[in-house]
Amino acid sequence: MTGRWFRVPTLYKIVAAWPWWLLVAALVGVRLSKGAVVVDAYAMLSRPFWPGPAQSEWLRSGQRLADQARLVELERDNRRLRQMLQLDRRSGGLVSAPVISRQPAGWWQQLELGKGRLDGLAAGAAVLAPGGLIGRVASVTPTTARVLLLTDGSSRIGVWVGRTQQHALLQGLGTARPRLVFLEKDPGVRPGDVVTTSPASTLLPPNLTIGVLQTLDEQAVPAPEGLVQLSAPVDAVDWVQVVTR
Amino acid sequence: MGVLHRQRWCGATGLVVPLLSLASPAFLKIAGVAPSWAVLWLLPWALVDGPGSGAVAGAALGLVLDGLHPGDVSQVPALLLLGWWWGRIGRRGAPIERSFSLGLLALLGTVLLGLSLMLQLQWQGALPLPLVGWHTLVAQSLVTALLAPLVCSLLLLRWRQVASLRG
Repeated sequence: MTGRWFRVPTLYKIVAAWPWWLLVAALVGVRLSKGAVVVDAYAMLSRPFWPGPAQSEWLRSGQRLADQARLVELERDNRRLRQMLQLDRRSGGLVSAPVISRQPAGWWQQLELGKGRLDGLAAGAAVLAPGGLIGRVASVTPTTARVLLLTDGSSRIGVWVGRTQQHALLQGLGTARPRLVFLEKDPGVRPGDVVTTSPASTLLPPNLTIGVLQTLDEQAVPAPEGLVQLSAPVDAVDWVQVVTR
Repeated sequence: MGVLHRQRWCGATGLVVPLLSLASPAFLKIAGVAPSWAVLWLLPWALVDGPGSGAVAGAALGLVLDGLHPGDVSQVPALLLLGWWWGRIGRRGAPIERSFSLGLLALLGTVLLGLSLMLQLQWQGALPLPLVGWHTLVAQSLVTALLAPLVCSLLLLRWRQVASLRG
């Protein structure tokens, strides 16, 4: 009698039970994939009942609010750390100034602003437009200031590519898109990288957006070069902000 | 020397040149490049008042315009030369009145002025792409030559009247 309990099922019976084996395999698959198939199926079936765009907008506005609060905190923290490192010796005040003359093309690329030394502007100050940095103050009179745009052929500033943490030189060409000259042979950058002022800069405010790397010539000698699309509309700006010391 | 420079109000019209250069109306631009207002004012002045007055007026205009731009590039040599050359043309031969002649002189003058600026900018390394300089030169020459028959004719007519009355 005892021998019957330990009798091995015949191969025929094992093969005949293939649907059950298949079911077991499917269940093991679900377990191993952490329920991927089930969740995907559920998502597909429940799609008509998903929350509408209103809730999504609430979430986005909440996210924006959280980001803004986080940005303020980070800026405060950044300022404190920079003061500890003695990198930033400026108060960082901003003065809004109207653009009273604009020459974005021609022999020179410059702006004339309707505020000058009497309002605290000084040569070398950074000039910001909606979108980012557009140039530096070249000279001031008591009531006006001349801005040399980043696109001018004589403009050269040091910049920073944050993704790869590379320094580079932004050189105006007289066209709408200045040239980015890298200092290393293999900078590892790619079109789409954001170009900002250097976080360690003492001449310009740090981490100001300048533009986006649009094209890259990796074969250029002695180091790769690229063209930068400025993020601020230089030829359409009516008011700018000047960083005062 | 002619008589225009003795009329203060005639010389004062030269103040419009830097003001127009600063204002640079967008509808008078070709490919974003404004005309050379200095050429448009200097051409009739020199034609009427002679080479000496033209050269002085060109140098004065150049000094004012140099103050409106960053860098050490100067327009004085080219404008001085143009004032002197146009003054000589005005004194010799038949008076220049035809629109084509005015347009051609303005075109040549703007090309000369542009070439002088381009060479200086290139020398200073402020013109990394020579093609950009040629683009500016061609656009400025064209728009200046197109405006010259209108602007220069009116100024030439008025100043010739003043010169004939005072001379």
